[in-house]
Amino acid sequence: MMKKVLAGVLCTAMAVSALGMVSFADETEAGSAGLATDGKFVVGFDAEYPPYGYMDDNGDYTGFDLELAGAVCDLEGWELVARPIDWDSKDMELESGNIDCIWNGFTMNGREDSYTFSVPYVDNSQVIVVADDSGIESLSDLEGKVVGVQADSAALALLEEDGDQADLGATFGELQQFGDYNTAFAELQAGSLDAVAIDVGVANYQTAGREGYSILDESLNSEQYAVGFKKGNDVLCETINSDLAVLLENGTFDEIAAKYEEMGIPSDMLCLAESLGVKAETEAE
Amino acid sequence: MSFQVMMQQLGGGLLRSIEIFALTLLFSLPLGLLVSFGRMSKNRVIRSIVWIYISVMRGTPLMLQLLAVYFGPFYIGGLKLGATWRFTAIIIAFSVNYAAYFAEIYRSGIESMPPGQYEAARVLGYSKGSTFFRIIFPQVVKRILPSVTNEVITLVKDTSLAFSLAYAEMFTIAKQIAAKETSFMPFLAAALFYYVFNAIVAFGMERIEKAMNYYT
Repeated sequence: MMKKVLAGVLCTAMAVSALGMVSFADETEAGSAGLATDGKFVVGFDAEYPPYGYMDDNGDYTGFDLELAGAVCDLEGWELVARPIDWDSKDMELESGNIDCIWNGFTMNGREDSYTFSVPYVDNSQVIVVADDSGIESLSDLEGKVVGVQADSAALALLEEDGDQADLGATFGELQQFGDYNTAFAELQAGSLDAVAIDVGVANYQTAGREGYSILDESLNSEQYAVGFKKGNDVLCETINSDLAVLLENGTFDEIAAKYEEMGIPSDMLCLAESLGVKAETEAE
Repeated sequence: MSFQVMMQQLGGGLLRSIEIFALTLLFSLPLGLLVSFGRMSKNRVIRSIVWIYISVMRGTPLMLQLLAVYFGPFYIGGLKLGATWRFTAIIIAFSVNYAAYFAEIYRSGIESMPPGQYEAARVLGYSKGSTFFRIIFPQVVKRILPSVTNEVITLVKDTSLAFSLAYAEMFTIAKQIAAKETSFMPFLAAALFYYVFNAIVAFGMERIEKAMNYYT
């Protein structure tokens, strides 16, 4: 009797799961405009990355990048879905169509082969943050020190073997990878890290919220942020590019940027006008 | 962020954690019993398949299993993943994983029953099915409750793994608030939430244990 029950239950379980598979396959017909679902613009971001993407005082997801994405949705009549993701799984999420783009202080340099990128909109640089009393004042002082860097970040790519700053990285005592910046700063405070390599906008935000840290004058590089799409999704990329141009023209871009000026993105970091070739025109006038 | 908003956000995250918790128990407890039958089956094929299943579930990290269940249909089957698949995948991965652990707990209970009870039941004319469900199983439940409580409490804490599939349960929310506030306070609050939740679970399980203690 037991075997019959067992077989019955197993059959039911299989039937139910098969039904489940069919229904979720049906739901997701590829949408137009390069979106996975019609009318929904799903933006993948790391919600532990202020000021580009984070949870605001009311518990809603916001940030410079998400507000820009929101403005794009207003233009297109899409619904914005802000999807906080595990940064380590971003490629799988993008590949499988769970998110339409990565829009989150996403460095394009060195990643051109893996993603289709929009026009760059922020000039970023990778910098070193140290404690004020550490005695580290220049990059050469980092020799033999323990430097922290976020896993799979642009800063890591620079300092690793084959990176543009690999020679500098080789002088470090240790290059320690961590998951989120909050932990890294706690380690910096506790003394288990001597320095943290980090994006300048995030560094501005983090050092403003804490006492006793400063950013070294010498930066590791200069690079640019852009919106990353699945490789080959040119339709969506073109749409976002032309929307960004509209937002720049009607002043929305500067309006949003002004809100974040005090939060770590000073106006001299913005480069959308430059990359769209608008600046030259206005100067000529 | 005000204290009130933080509590609201963490509370919302806790509800999403409880959702995983409750659904996982709902599916994995019965499934575990089935698996334990398979593990003790007289049929060698079934026994080996179930043995491999338990071995894989216990031998690989739950986080990896979550990723495999979620992304598997896309990478292996080429299927597009719908918006509802995220939560479904989490529940499937958790249930299938915990069923393996529960199965071994059930087995320990079932195999600890003295054979004399089966013989006595047969003499009294009980069928195989009613011997198990009326005589053996109630005693098994009593014996295995402390081990089950262990697993259940572990499950509460394991819900935080759901973030690898971008599901905003409580620990994820705590990390996000901590990043925004550049402070560790939210973690302390999250720890308190987990502790209270687990205290309630442990208290409930103790009550059940007492209620089942009808022979003493």
